[in-house]
Amino acid sequence: MLARRWRFLFAILMLSVTGCGDKSEVKVADAPSTASAKEAGKPVTGDWLVIHSLSDPEQLNPLTSNDASSNEVLGFVLESLLTRDPRTLELKPLIAEARPEIAQDKLTYTFRIRQDARFQDGRPLTGEDVLFSVKAIKCPFVNAPFLRVYFNSLVDARLVDPYTIRFVTKEPYFLNESVLGGITVLPRHYYDPENLLQRVAVRDLIQDPAKLPGEVKKFGDQFNKNYSRNPMGSGPYKFSLWKTGRELELVRNPDYWGNGKAGIDQAHLDRLKFRVVNNFDAALVRLKSGSLDYMEALQPVQVVRGTDSERFKREFQKYEYYAPTYTYIGWNNDHPIFRDKRIRQAMTYLTNRQQIVKSVLFGLGEVVNGHIYLFRPEYDKTLPSYPFDPAKALALLNEAGWRDTDGDGVLDKVIDGKKTPLRFEIKINSGNAVRKSVALVLLDELKKHGIDASVRELDWTIFLNDVKNHQFDAVVLGWQMSTTESDAYQVWHSSQAANKGSNAISYKNARVDEILELYRGEFDAQKRIQLYKEFQRILSDEQPYTFLYLPKRVSAVQRRFEGVEVFPDGLRPVDWWVPSARQKYVTTVTAN
Amino acid sequence: MIPTFIGITLVGFLIMRLAPGDPAELRAAGGLGAAAGGGISVEKRGSVDEAVAQWRAQYGLDKPLHVQYAVWLKNLFTLNFGESFKDNQSVWEKILERLPVTVKLNLWSILVVYLVAIPLGIYSATHPNSFGDQVTTLAAFVLFAVPLVWAATMAIVFICGGDFYYLFPPGGLESLEFADDWPVWKKINDHAWHLFLPVVLLSYDGFAGMSRYMRSSMLEVLGQDYVQVARAKGLPEGMVIAKHVLRNSLIPQVTILASILPGLIGGSVIIETIFSIPGLGQLGFESVLARDYPTVLALFTVSAVLTLFGILVSDILLAVVDPRIAFGRRQQ
Repeated sequence: MLARRWRFLFAILMLSVTGCGDKSEVKVADAPSTASAKEAGKPVTGDWLVIHSLSDPEQLNPLTSNDASSNEVLGFVLESLLTRDPRTLELKPLIAEARPEIAQDKLTYTFRIRQDARFQDGRPLTGEDVLFSVKAIKCPFVNAPFLRVYFNSLVDARLVDPYTIRFVTKEPYFLNESVLGGITVLPRHYYDPENLLQRVAVRDLIQDPAKLPGEVKKFGDQFNKNYSRNPMGSGPYKFSLWKTGRELELVRNPDYWGNGKAGIDQAHLDRLKFRVVNNFDAALVRLKSGSLDYMEALQPVQVVRGTDSERFKREFQKYEYYAPTYTYIGWNNDHPIFRDKRIRQAMTYLTNRQQIVKSVLFGLGEVVNGHIYLFRPEYDKTLPSYPFDPAKALALLNEAGWRDTDGDGVLDKVIDGKKTPLRFEIKINSGNAVRKSVALVLLDELKKHGIDASVRELDWTIFLNDVKNHQFDAVVLGWQMSTTESDAYQVWHSSQAANKGSNAISYKNARVDEILELYRGEFDAQKRIQLYKEFQRILSDEQPYTFLYLPKRVSAVQRRFEGVEVFPDGLRPVDWWVPSARQKYVTTVTAN
Repeated sequence: MIPTFIGITLVGFLIMRLAPGDPAELRAAGGLGAAAGGGISVEKRGSVDEAVAQWRAQYGLDKPLHVQYAVWLKNLFTLNFGESFKDNQSVWEKILERLPVTVKLNLWSILVVYLVAIPLGIYSATHPNSFGDQVTTLAAFVLFAVPLVWAATMAIVFICGGDFYYLFPPGGLESLEFADDWPVWKKINDHAWHLFLPVVLLSYDGFAGMSRYMRSSMLEVLGQDYVQVARAKGLPEGMVIAKHVLRNSLIPQVTILASILPGLIGGSVIIETIFSIPGLGQLGFESVLARDYPTVLALFTVSAVLTLFGILVSDILLAVVDPRIAFGRRQQ
């Protein structure tokens, strides 16, 4: 009792003290901005953006990091040869002067490099840095195997002159330009101060690692160890500080080489702060209390409840767009039950996808019927959509020979001379409420029709192992899609089932294999679209997956920011700015 | 103690390594983020097997298990815990970086538990079965029964900003504006403001246990003959309690102290996660999920050492508070 009163007193005391100490955190709530007036005008620099981050990046090594948070942060600090126009998603030059010259044989790519680009320490960026960046990727001692496989077809790179680099690839592949253009340019003098890679050529790095000179190994070890928390590049933001588990700060580079240049992103905000709040409820509270400005992904339930008050709408603007990922139920095509495509079709008829979007996602999503991003030209809008139709599903099951012969309430059939009940397990990973709900909705429906399904929830790493080793009957999972041209070879080619690749459901179709192989070497975009439309029709008929939905992502941004716009890949804070009158944070040490 | 210690590390090593899940596969799938998020990136997968094998070789995970254990143990004796899979940084440095946060949080909460529970226990023991005793007992047990996750979430929703009251910050250790050039009082104030709720939440369920221990051990002592004698001598009741009863009923508290030492660094996974406090509990939790073997094993080893050390210290302390307990020399 005593403790209780004391706590209350303390609370009041702290309130009055902090009332003066933290005024800036509370102030915005009292004086709502008048963003609706749109007195926007010309972009000015200044103010900070405090971004919600669910967790720290694993590390900020430009090559060895392999998670989404790292990519997000590094995207502000590093620049690549080519980039994509945010609106059209066309490739456009960044560090390169123009898109590469592609030789007749489609094997050689020549990039000319801009002569006015500079790194954040003021040193000029030259072809030597680009060549170094390629060597670092190809160096077998750099702990970046997951990036390196992407560059498997790159066999050589040489400087033609100090600002021209020529790449040689193994086979013609329509994505080569995009892959090579995606090479981020690292300052050689910073990442390899001793110039250990100078004497080794790119084509040497492909040979047996044991034969490489000792300094290559030395470089690899140093690179892995010493550059985890201090990235440096040529981008508009400089890495400033990182307090583990709390926040990470980027500062605008006032001497950015691209300042005032057409076609180059112009940054306005003085600082970007990524604040770690590892739970969505707490993050929303922090957003409302003013210590966050931007939450990229509100949870569906938060969109419907918790962000609809008048006060919230006065202070924040919500932006909706389709996140390029799709969720699916994968049926193990090698499983005795799911070998028959009629069963897989029946399963899709039994999955009430509209209902899932409505009740699990609170309507924030769209049912999809294929693996291609809904807004790509390759997506076939004429694909038939399997409606929720239990009667049709049962007819298909009957046709395939599934009947309840013994009256135990579960359908059965004689497969390979053995009576098999229609019983299977859907595996899901823990920590994903949405996937779990999907599985449970389906489970309910299946039970009604004499299908004895169960759900098993596994820890993520264990789940991944089971998926990789094809040890499942069915799984609920998601793939990220590409908003640009994609290559589905990894997921659907039969070779990727045998080698435990990403075709974990063991989908095998000779014509699909053929299409996927043709597609990779086809440089005519229209022909590629035709190939993929045929591919989608085959998938639609065979239903190796039950394709579920494309979720909508809802972001909340404090209204003082101007220039916020929704692009196919989401929001781009690099464009945002705040009119001087509304600026909340003042950088005490002026950057200039 | 050394054989016990090696036994502990062996068991820890085996549990960690025989648990299913593979850190290399996890990285191939783009880390833990893909578990909660929308999906796995197709492009990052590439020819996974080759990459996974390379990655495993880099960390020596391709060697037989007993060789790996031998290497790990050898490094351990030179105080080298290895490097984290996550970012190739020294595990020891990662622990040192987070240690102050967790120790601060837990020291305060242990202090609060003792400061509240011991007087409460004394009151209950000196007024057994009175109305006050019953009320405090009830209150302590009600608090004990409140799940921490629920209490912390409620606290965040209702008194940490959002749509209700903004009495405390909803997480973190310092304000966004926190600057090194702030005056000391302002820094302390800011820290106190941020630490208050986590400390209260970490301590409330300890009240019941600790005050019960105190109450029962005191009641036991109160029934002893020498207490009667002290009272018969005409000593004032306060003196009897303070001098004769209290000291003799501290033995259980001292024993409990031994278990507190490892708890100091173990931290609270729940509180650190909900309040985004970058302490060791959070580190351990994330490392287990990510199968970051070197980090998990290092944390495990450190708490094993602290537990052994804690037992040693409490044995010594027992001899100090209780003259009847001695090491071999003088038996009663």
